[in-house]
Amino acid sequence: MASVKLTDVKKVYDNNVTAVHDFNLEIQDKEFIVFVGPSGCGKSTTLRMIAGLEDISGGTLEIDGQVVNDLQPKDRDIAMVFQNYALYPHMTVYDNIAFSLRLKKVPEDEVYERVTNAAQILGITEYLTRKPRALSGGQRQRVAIGRAMVRNAKVFLMDEPLSNLDAKLRNQMRAEIIQLRHKLETTFIYVTHDQTEAMTLGDRIVIMRDGVIEQVGTPQEVFDTPVNLFVAGFIGSPQMNFLKASLQRSGDAYSVSLLGVTLPLNPDQNAVLARKNAGDQQVILGIRPEHTAVLFAPDENAIECTIDVNEMMGSELHLHLTDKNGDNIIVRLPTMDLTQEQRRSLSYGSRLFISFPAKAMHLFDPGTEKSLIDG
Amino acid sequence: MSEATAKRHMGLRASRTVSNTLIHVLLIVISIIWLIPFVCIVLQSFRVENTGPVGYIIPHQWGTGNYTRLFQTDFPRWYTNTFIAALATAALQTVIVLCMSYTLSRFRFKMRQPLMRFMLILGMFPGMLSMIILYRVLKDLGLTQANAVPGLILVYVASSGMGYYVSKGFFDTIPMSLDEAARVDGATRAKILYKIILPLSKPIVIYTILTAFMGPWGDYVFARYIAFGTSAGKNVAVGLYDWLNKDQISNCYTMFCAGGVLVALPVTILFLFLQKYYVEGVTGGAVKG
Amino acid sequence: MKQYSDLEFLKLSRGQKLLYRLQRFLISIPVGIGRFFMKLIRALGKLFAGIGRDLGEIGATFAQGDWKTKTSFFIMGFGNLARGQILRGILFLVFEAVFIAYMVMSGGYWLSMLPSLGITGPSEEYSEVLDAYVTKYHDNSFQILLYGVLTIFFVIAFIYTWRVNVRQNRMAEKILASGKKLKSGRDDLRSVVDDQFHKTLLALPLTGILVFTVLPIFFMILVAFTNYDGTHNGYTNSLFTWVGLDNFNTMLSWDVTGGAGTQSYAATFGEVLLWTLIWAFFATFTNYFLGMFVAMAINKKGIRFKKGWRTILVLTIAIPQFISLLYVSKMFAKNGIVNGFLMSMGWIQQALPFWEDPTWARVTVILINIWIGIPYLMLITTGILMNIPADLYESARIDGANAWQQYRKITLPYMLFVTGPYLLTSFTGNMNNFNVIFLLTGGAPVNPAASSAAGAVGYTDLLITWLFKITMGAESQYYLASVIGILVFVVVALISLVVYNVLPSIKNEEDFR
Repeated sequence: MASVKLTDVKKVYDNNVTAVHDFNLEIQDKEFIVFVGPSGCGKSTTLRMIAGLEDISGGTLEIDGQVVNDLQPKDRDIAMVFQNYALYPHMTVYDNIAFSLRLKKVPEDEVYERVTNAAQILGITEYLTRKPRALSGGQRQRVAIGRAMVRNAKVFLMDEPLSNLDAKLRNQMRAEIIQLRHKLETTFIYVTHDQTEAMTLGDRIVIMRDGVIEQVGTPQEVFDTPVNLFVAGFIGSPQMNFLKASLQRSGDAYSVSLLGVTLPLNPDQNAVLARKNAGDQQVILGIRPEHTAVLFAPDENAIECTIDVNEMMGSELHLHLTDKNGDNIIVRLPTMDLTQEQRRSLSYGSRLFISFPAKAMHLFDPGTEKSLIDG
Repeated sequence: MSEATAKRHMGLRASRTVSNTLIHVLLIVISIIWLIPFVCIVLQSFRVENTGPVGYIIPHQWGTGNYTRLFQTDFPRWYTNTFIAALATAALQTVIVLCMSYTLSRFRFKMRQPLMRFMLILGMFPGMLSMIILYRVLKDLGLTQANAVPGLILVYVASSGMGYYVSKGFFDTIPMSLDEAARVDGATRAKILYKIILPLSKPIVIYTILTAFMGPWGDYVFARYIAFGTSAGKNVAVGLYDWLNKDQISNCYTMFCAGGVLVALPVTILFLFLQKYYVEGVTGGAVKG
Repeated sequence: MKQYSDLEFLKLSRGQKLLYRLQRFLISIPVGIGRFFMKLIRALGKLFAGIGRDLGEIGATFAQGDWKTKTSFFIMGFGNLARGQILRGILFLVFEAVFIAYMVMSGGYWLSMLPSLGITGPSEEYSEVLDAYVTKYHDNSFQILLYGVLTIFFVIAFIYTWRVNVRQNRMAEKILASGKKLKSGRDDLRSVVDDQFHKTLLALPLTGILVFTVLPIFFMILVAFTNYDGTHNGYTNSLFTWVGLDNFNTMLSWDVTGGAGTQSYAATFGEVLLWTLIWAFFATFTNYFLGMFVAMAINKKGIRFKKGWRTILVLTIAIPQFISLLYVSKMFAKNGIVNGFLMSMGWIQQALPFWEDPTWARVTVILINIWIGIPYLMLITTGILMNIPADLYESARIDGANAWQQYRKITLPYMLFVTGPYLLTSFTGNMNNFNVIFLLTGGAPVNPAASSAAGAVGYTDLLITWLFKITMGAESQYYLASVIGILVFVVVALISLVVYNVLPSIKNEEDFR
């Protein structure tokens, strides 16, 4: 149970490649923080620096107020779960979990107590005498978590723990990690490339790209108010649609026009833009597929599109559309209220009209890629 | 199934049978060729009517005379020399090779690449060359001739770190994340070696011991230099080799065969039991490098 | 030469493609060697730049350092001691004391004698006690050379340690200035089994290699520039001394010199080298392809007793080569079993000259080497063959490939890619394959034209067995052996260099992991 503070933490490899640029973050005690980003963004490197498995090239890392830059992993009081589980193949599950305790010379009685306790929580009691190779992927993952659990470490690190599991098991384990997190009451740092995992698990999410933090915030914040194009595109599935548009100002009111329609912004957005004193300019309009309104008839504020693909997902349809400029737009449409006739009309090649509610629109500067409204 | 395709099927099966039969015959021939010399050695070691080389295989008169004669020569001494040298080398060389290969596989230190390259270049010099100086140095230290065994062990073991390739190749296949997990769990590097890596490396440890034992067991060159001029310091290879020179061959040829059988027997038995590990080492490590 | 783009290359006919590839290959050899030397020059440049930077840093350390640091320049470990790092300080101090003591007591002497390799040789002197002339021994060239080299090594080690000592002072000052604590002796001891564990592990192996490989090789390279041989052993009969490049001149000259021979050393060397290369080529590739063939035969679906065949072959590896090879060598002798068998069957009238005729001997050696090598290659290739994904073959069969095409297009490229490095080491290993040649033929039949002074070299002698013969011969021309050793190194290094720069699988080492 501890806070973790990273100040200007940097990783430069021998070949002068910088994997992580000045990384600043304060992680609260008992917080569940998720590092998320595409592969090669430096999230794992950062985690491994916190663990002590990589040298820190610059800056300071504090755990519980103590600078630990030069400490060996074993002296940092951390526990870690690896992507490929890293279970010791020649030891039984019991010995695997007990390994760290025995290294600390914990009395055997207590080792037994703690290992069986952890096994019970994770539901692996019946496998304690087996070797890892006799276990399934999910069971192995539990053992790996158990091994980290028994240590009662200050910080719990998880490096893509679910990415080797199949989709169904992943959902199940995700739920279990949430439960575990409440039982353990410790600080979690969790690395993943999967934005869904990040959204569902994290108290706060750290979105990284090319060794730089793009945005830090709660799942709601990063979803609602992405500060730049990258975050907007990375969070949410299917991805946010981006369309070229132009911003026009008349007095303190702003409007966006694209594809022959002009969409006024709402007062909040106007206020922000006016404060920034934004003028007429080219912008990138971002709109999430689930925020797009679908009309089955022409409307003056609606954009005309053609349907390319109609994916039936059960409770909703994912429609891949092309607008008049040839840009692609994806739309999510709940199936519940659709009439038979409407469903039939959503076939390949037919026309459809969509419109964007003002509060769902995100505007980005095409040059800096920063959001004009959010952040 | 039409008649034509049925025929083709028959043809396929028939041709496979023919080719498999051919291969079986070939393998039998190969096995015979490979085994004949050894069968001959064994047979000739029991021949008593003539102690020199002859042009026939089956002895006319059988007997164990060659074996009993062996024990009136220096052969038991040579055998002991070889055995001690091989045993000591097996133990020490294994430790050194494993230290070397574990380090080069697991640690990323600044001098790692230069060191490996340096040893590669070093290996391009004929090792025999260094024996000239080593012989004189060991002679000054009194570790040659009659005292050859400790000297030999030293020579075998000292440079054995250069033969790290095979076991390094094996260590490379053990995931690094095991080391990392153990480090997070609180193990020192030394503990990782003997609690995690070594228990997982049984095949390669056995392979290393086996090859380290077999090297001295059959070595001729180094032993020849170091035992120079004496009989008491010879190992079996040098001793038996000398029996085949022009002056002795007519008297010692069958004794050579008997000695050869006694030398080959223990390693062959050892090999039979440890074959699995040897194969694993050769196939796993030899190519990875 | 014209370079084709990928698309242009695809349009070429088969012959043109082959020709183009060959051209590229031939061009890549000098380019590769050139690149190597560029790298070498760059590395040397870096080295000197590093030394320059080091000298600068040393100067800066002295100029900016406090009195503890300054004193450490002369009394090693002083800074450590003064700053409370007792263990390190003592180690440095002891090392310096040992070094100075050694240099004063003997190191200086060895170094001073190194240029001459000894001044006074053994002499006959009158002894009053014995009332006779006895031989008195004085300088010992061998020891001078050996300990001279050792002393040079020691001096280098001292300079390095001194440098570490200076750097530690600088680091310590920096650490103390930033308000942190220095590592204590206990920390140092603990790091020996933890973060510095690699140094602990390497200490023993590297010392062994240094003393028993590096030092002797260094020594023997120097011997090539002396006249050290049986009649100049440096102590009991006559001193030896530096002769410059004379030995290389002898070995590479076309003059017919000395001995009973009618052939120059250069011609002999050329012949032996050529045979060494031919031998290495055939020994490597016959084993490789036949071993692969046997492995594939055993692996084939429907073959029974797979394990049995393998065991039979593997067992032949277990039997020491000096037994099997010596025995086989006698089997093929004039009065051996093979000739005896063939004659008793009436197939030949006279014994075949397996070891008496140069060509017969060379072919026989290569054939017997197949017998030795196949089991080993069978093992290696079996492992790799099993790693080739089965779906490659299935896909090829659906595409209509027959057995030979499957081998040619799938098995062989895969094998060559994976075993590329192995083939190289195997080739150079065969160049130095002492056992097979020496135990089978001992180099015979002897080449009567070659100088007998050079160890009665024979037609099947490799460079390495020739070298051995020279050192074991009556005249023990160690300097010639050293010259051959150096030339072997040069040849092996050149071959490796070319192959390393051409082989794709070596270029990306990590592909194999």
